[in-house]
This record gives sequence, structure tokens and C-alpha cells, in this order.
Amino acid sequence: MNKRKIRGYREFLYIVPFLILVGIFSYYPLYGWVYAFFDYKPPFPLSKETFVGFKWFSYMIDNDIKRKQLGQVLMNTFAVSGLSMLFSWFPMIFAVFLNEIKCKPYRKFVQTATTLPNFISWVLVYSIAFCVFNSTGVVNSILTDLGVISKPIMFLQSSEHIWFKMWLWLTWKNAGWAAIMYIAAISGIDEELYEAARVDGANRIQIIFHITIPSILPTYFVLLFLNIANFLSNGMEQFFVFQNNFNRQTIEVLDLYVYNLAMGAGGYSLSTAIGILKSVVSIILLCVTNGISKLTRGEGFI
Amino acid sequence: MKLRKVTALLLAGAMIMASLAGCGSQSAPAASSSGDAATTSDAGSSDAGATDTAAASTGDGMVFEIYDAAANYQGMQTGWFQKVVNDRFGVDLNIIAPQVAGDAIFQTRASSGNLGDIVLLDATDFSDCVKSGLIKDISADLGNYPNLMKFKEQIDVYNQGLEGNAGEIYGIPTEMMDTSPSSYSQDVIYSSPLLRWDLYKELGCPDIKDLDGLLDVLDQMMQAHPTNDAGDPCYPFSLWADWDGGDGMLGIANVVQLTTWYGEKLRGSMILKPDGTFTPLTDKNASYYKILKFLNTAYRRGLVDPDSGTQDWNSACAKMGAGQVYLMWYSWQVGFWNSQDRLEDGTAFIFIPVEDQNYYCDADAYFGSGRVFGVGSQVDDAKYQKIMEFLDWYASPEGATFEHTGIEGFNYEVNADGTYTAINTNALMDNLPVPEEYGGAGYNDGNNAINQWIVSSNSINPNTGETYNKEYWKSWKEATMTQMKKEWQEKFGAAEPVEWMKKNNKLVISPNVAISLDSDTADIAVIRNQCNEIVCDYSWRMIFVDDDATFDATWDEMTAQLEGNGFKDLCDFDTTKHTKELEAKNKYK
Repeated sequence: MNKRKIRGYREFLYIVPFLILVGIFSYYPLYGWVYAFFDYKPPFPLSKETFVGFKWFSYMIDNDIKRKQLGQVLMNTFAVSGLSMLFSWFPMIFAVFLNEIKCKPYRKFVQTATTLPNFISWVLVYSIAFCVFNSTGVVNSILTDLGVISKPIMFLQSSEHIWFKMWLWLTWKNAGWAAIMYIAAISGIDEELYEAARVDGANRIQIIFHITIPSILPTYFVLLFLNIANFLSNGMEQFFVFQNNFNRQTIEVLDLYVYNLAMGAGGYSLSTAIGILKSVVSIILLCVTNGISKLTRGEGFI
Repeated sequence: MKLRKVTALLLAGAMIMASLAGCGSQSAPAASSSGDAATTSDAGSSDAGATDTAAASTGDGMVFEIYDAAANYQGMQTGWFQKVVNDRFGVDLNIIAPQVAGDAIFQTRASSGNLGDIVLLDATDFSDCVKSGLIKDISADLGNYPNLMKFKEQIDVYNQGLEGNAGEIYGIPTEMMDTSPSSYSQDVIYSSPLLRWDLYKELGCPDIKDLDGLLDVLDQMMQAHPTNDAGDPCYPFSLWADWDGGDGMLGIANVVQLTTWYGEKLRGSMILKPDGTFTPLTDKNASYYKILKFLNTAYRRGLVDPDSGTQDWNSACAKMGAGQVYLMWYSWQVGFWNSQDRLEDGTAFIFIPVEDQNYYCDADAYFGSGRVFGVGSQVDDAKYQKIMEFLDWYASPEGATFEHTGIEGFNYEVNADGTYTAINTNALMDNLPVPEEYGGAGYNDGNNAINQWIVSSNSINPNTGETYNKEYWKSWKEATMTQMKKEWQEKFGAAEPVEWMKKNNKLVISPNVAISLDSDTADIAVIRNQCNEIVCDYSWRMIFVDDDATFDATWDEMTAQLEGNGFKDLCDFDTTKHTKELEAKNKYK
């Protein structure tokens, strides 16, 4: 009994460092939420600021124009996240097709080439985009030389189809990286299944549809559910670099909105308030998707 | 085969090195171009040896942390200016630059209670810092420092303006002048239409009546020269968005600057008209609308660089340097093009008046240009002593000569009559190597990284009787008298642009006053930011619309959006804030 107790303590000690880390880096920063309830303005310390309660929360929605603005921001967020969710099967199919390539060097090449963009920062991606799409860039030059257009098209300046364009950039950057998970899942499928299918006379398409895809669907669902929980956070770097005065209305997603507010001119309190709301909604989304997962698959993921 | 690979590798390595060196010489003085890297380190070690003895008696290897709102470089001061300071005080300067590190550094450092040993801030931030106890009261000791005491009047006026001040002295204003608060003693003003003289002459030097006339002239220039020598397309206008909302003025920085051509000036969200009244930016009869319309007309006539909305400051600079721009409006912009050679062959930019215009300019910065030096409240006595000595030297003729003119024997020579003649005039532009005895490294690399002065460069140096700024020396004027300048003088009947403006009564001088303005409350800060974003977004779109109806519809949409975001509160706040300033200015009228 005593021995078991000591062992219990010892094993508890093993995880203490991680608990401390979680405490410092995940829970201690929550203290910053108090800024949402003050009229905070540097360089004055919080002790010298006035407590304003929920003023900043009501500020967001206290007239029609602001409500519309917030609505537009939410719509952008939902549209961008929704698009990437709608096309979330893309990396999976890509992985399946990649797996069907029989020439190994070629397969490796495609995989490396599609994974590499993931390691380029968004700032560089934008530089590339600017070089290719500006008024004297490659695309405009070719189109002008071919006589298709007489005046350069300002690709980066238009706000048309901006959500879809953002999805295209994201896919170009991420598809190869996202496929890695599925490639791992595919390599874990039992060879015997394939052999059995071949003995039964299944052709390639049939094997894909009846063996490969059903086997990696669980992976797909876990990733999809995690995505739903992250619905409100689509990151800000991509949209930050691509934003300009012409497309800001349709490109400003929640994260970028918070950043522009806080870093733009020290609206720290208001952006903290928005950040809090976002966290709360995200937690609710996570619980909901976990519930759905329990209902549909019989098991949750948290 | 193997040999080839090795060479390829070496070449690749060399290229990386070269590109790194290229970056280094601009951003980090520590890493000068690879060629003289070795000499730099040599200089560093010999320097240290030389100053060891001096340090024992003076600074003891002390380091001043300078929180510097004006600096474009972050890190230790190096090169010749470091040697100048180290020889005299035995201290090193560590520059903390919010322009490099981001504005968030202000918040984090302020909350730690120690902004820096020396702080240089914009006046509104400064008064906040005084209130929160980050700045030391220097009133007891200021009297001991003769060079600072020369500016006693200005320092007193500034500090009395601080809220709730009972005789304490916290701040020393910057770029102060010794003329008067309502005079203007430079040859050019900050913003005026600048055209290429050769292209203008080619058209027969036509008189320009108004903005449409200006567009006609620019149109003809572009028709005649659609590309530069390298074959890249040229446009009269190339705008950039990086500075929008800066300098406490709402809206597109380029547009805001052009409003000064009609004697108007933005103060936050309000436009100050020449008759001394305020009108909101959204007033259709004021100059912001007028200039937007002007740029939109230019766009519709194909005169605006289509990349204007998406390019950044660096691309815009590159175009100015490559001669792809036919209209400039900032006085410093010409620095990207006007070289001595171009002034001589007449292809340089120069002010060309537009008849119906009336130019606004800020008077000599008698009371300072707006930023303020202070001493951090956390410094100990020994360091405090040292800092005050340093600031006193910084305001002395010797210090100002180093700051504005440079090193004797390298940047200037002393004539028989005691005046100076400039030499190595391209030292800054080309980062010329500085001789070992002065500290080595490149001139620009070792230049004063504080980047702000207590004494203005247009003040008179008591040792020479001329300004610190070489452009007003007799020797310099003689040397730069070119054919182009003579032709210009003949055509317009004045020696310099400002003389022409004064003669023809086209200059609105706004007197310099020392008023500490209210800083934004948390509410106003948010409103200001959002309104600025709205104004910029809609303004940019308005420049690029194709017809009047859309233009006006966009303008109306903008005003509606602004209304909903509390623009009225902002206008009221700004009016109250700047009326104080205006009243002080009117005293000089």
C-alpha cells in the first residue's frame, strides 16, 4: 500500500514539469483578459486606469453600422473557413492519387515539390504574388504581348472572388503538407486487403473506392472535426499580407480584425474583448463537434 | 565534373554572402560591406584600446539606453559617431527604436517602469509618460549646462504647457531654432509641385493655371516620354500606401500632403483652412475632396501608376530613382533623383508654381519640431550626471557640427575666413569609407543613429556665422550654381522657390508654438483608428473609379460609414484639441 502511494507520488512528479508549462503558457496569459474591462492605454499601468465593466463588449454592437461591420468580418471568417472545409477532401484525394503513382522517383518528386511551399512564409508568398501579378509582372506581360488585353489587369487590387483566391493560395501552400497525414494512413492499410481485392478481380478504381478511401476516412473525420473547432481562427498572416485598401472589406477575417484594431492604434481593450468572445465561441464549437462525433462515430476525440 | 560542382557551390556561397552584405550595409551598421569587414573589426579593437584610458576618468564603459522614436536603426551605435561620443564621455549608446521593433515595445517597456535612460518621444506620448512617472525632473540641474540654457525660453515654455506643472522641467524640445516663431528661413518648403526641368523646358515652359493645367503638362510629358532610358513605363504619379494615417493626420498620406498646396492642413480629422477655421475632412468644399478628385482625374487620364495601391514604399522609391515618376511633391523626394550631374545637365526636379495655389508651410521650429528629449526616472545619480553632460554637448556647437555637418577633414574643410567648404558630399549617399583615425567603417553606417537633434540644422553655427546645413553656405551656393538654376531664376524672377512664394504672396506660414496637445482617450483611439481605416479604404477606391457617379457614391458611403463609427466625436475631440494650438498661433498674426 505504502509502496504504491510512493510510486503514485513519483509518477505525479513526472508530469509536474508539463503541468507547470501548461500553467505558465496556457493559463497565466488568461490574466490578460482583465484588459477588456478597463479603458487601457499605455504607458499608464492598469492600476491607474478606470474600470468600465462590459463597455467594450457593448461597444461592438451599439449601432447599425458597427453591427454590419462585425457581421461582414464574421461572414469573411465563415466564408474562408467554410471554403476550406468544403474542399477538405482535396488533400485526401491528392494523397490517394499520389499513392497510385507507380514510378517511385516521380512520386517522391511530386510529393517534395508540393510540400515545400509549406515552408515559405506568407510574406515571401506575397512577394512572389506581387512579382507575378503586378502591372508589369509575368502574367500581365504575357497577356499584353499576346494581345489579349491592352491595359494591365490589377489582380491583387480587386476584391472579386477574394475568398476563392485566398483558398487557392492556401491550397497551393498547404496541400502537400496536409496530404502527409493521409499518406501515412494509407501506408498503414493492411496489404492483405489489397491482395484479397485483386484476387476477387477488383480494378484500380474499385480498390480506391472500396479499400483505400474507407480505410482513411476515420483520419479524415478527426481532421475535419478539429477544423470545425478551429472554425473562427483562420490565422492572420495570409490575409495580413494580401490585404490592401481595395479588398479589406472582404478579406478582413476575425484574427486580422483583432490585430488591425490592437496594433493599428492601441485599441487593446476592444480587441481583447473580441478575443474573449472568439475563445468562448470556439470552446462551444469544440464541444458541439465533439458531441456530433460521439453521435456519429460512437466516440469523441477529447 | 567534381571540380564543376565545387565551383558552383563556391559561387552560390559567394552570392549568398554578397546578398547578405548588401542587406547589412543598409540596415545594420555593424555589418558593413564585406570588403572592409576586416578593417572594421580592426578599428573596433584599436578604438577600445584608445578609449580605455579615457573611460577610466569619464564613463567607465557606461551604456546609455536611448528609447528613440526617431531612430531607424536598433542596436549599439557604431562607427565614427560612436568614436566621437566615446572619446568625450566614454559611453556607448544603445538605441531602442520603436520604428524597427514595433510600437508594442512602447507598451511593454512603459509597463516595466523603465522606458530608457534617455527617452525621445512625440510630445503627446511624452506628456503621458510624465504623468505616469517615467520621466525625471531635471529642473534642479539644468542651470549648470550652458548649451542647454541657451534654449531656456523654449524649454520653459514647453514644460509650463505640461498638465499640472508647477515649475518642474522634464523635457527638452528638439530641432529648436534661434530665429523667430513666425519666420521661414529655408529655400524650399516641405511640399510643393516639383517637375523635371528638361521635360518642362521641352514643352516651352508653359504657365500652369490650376490642377487641370498641371495634368495637361504632365500628360504631354508622358506622351513625349512614355518610358525611361531603360524602357520601363513612366507615370507622372506613383503613390504608396505605407504612410497612410501617419503624423496624426487621417487619410492617405499622399493626398493629405497635397492639401497643403491650397494653404490647408490636416489636424487629425479636421482641416485647418487658411482663414483659421476648422472644417471636417468630409467637407466636400475642402481640399481633401478636391485632391482626391484631382488624383481620380489623373487616373482616368492614365497618369497614375496602376501599381500605386498595392506597391510598398521601397518599390515607389525604386521607381523614383529610375526616373519613372514625373511629379514629386515632398522636398526630400528629389534626393532620389537630383544628383550634381543631373543638376548640371538640367534633368533635375525643381519647383514649378501653379497659379491658383497658395502653399502652406510650418514656420521655423523656434519652439521645437514636436519631439521631446527626457531623462528616464530610473537612472542613478552617476549616470544622470553623465547623461546631462552628454545632452549639453549634444546641444553645443561642437555636437551640432558633428550631427549636421560631419567630421572636419572628411566632410568639410575650414576656409581662411573661418567658414566651411563641403568635401566628400556623397559620403552619406554612397556610404564612403571613413578613415581609421575618425573611427573607420562606412560613413552612413557610423552616422548618428539617434536621428534627432536639439539644435536645428538651419541654426547659425557661432563658429562660422553660417548654418550647420551645408546647403546654405556661401561656398556651396557658388558650387551649385548651375545653368538650370539660372534659367529657372530668369523665368520666375526669384533666386529660390521660397523667395518666389514670398514675393508673389503665395506662402501661408503657420507659426511655431509650444503647446502640449491632449492625448487620445481609449475611446477616441479606437474611433480614430477605425475612421482612418475607413477613410483610407474608400479614398483609394475613389482614386481608381471610372466615373463621377461612382466617385460621389463612394464618397457618400464613406461618410455614412464614418458617421456610424463615431466620426462626430472624433471631430469634436480634434477641434477642441487643436483650437488651443490655433489660438496660440494666432497670437503671432
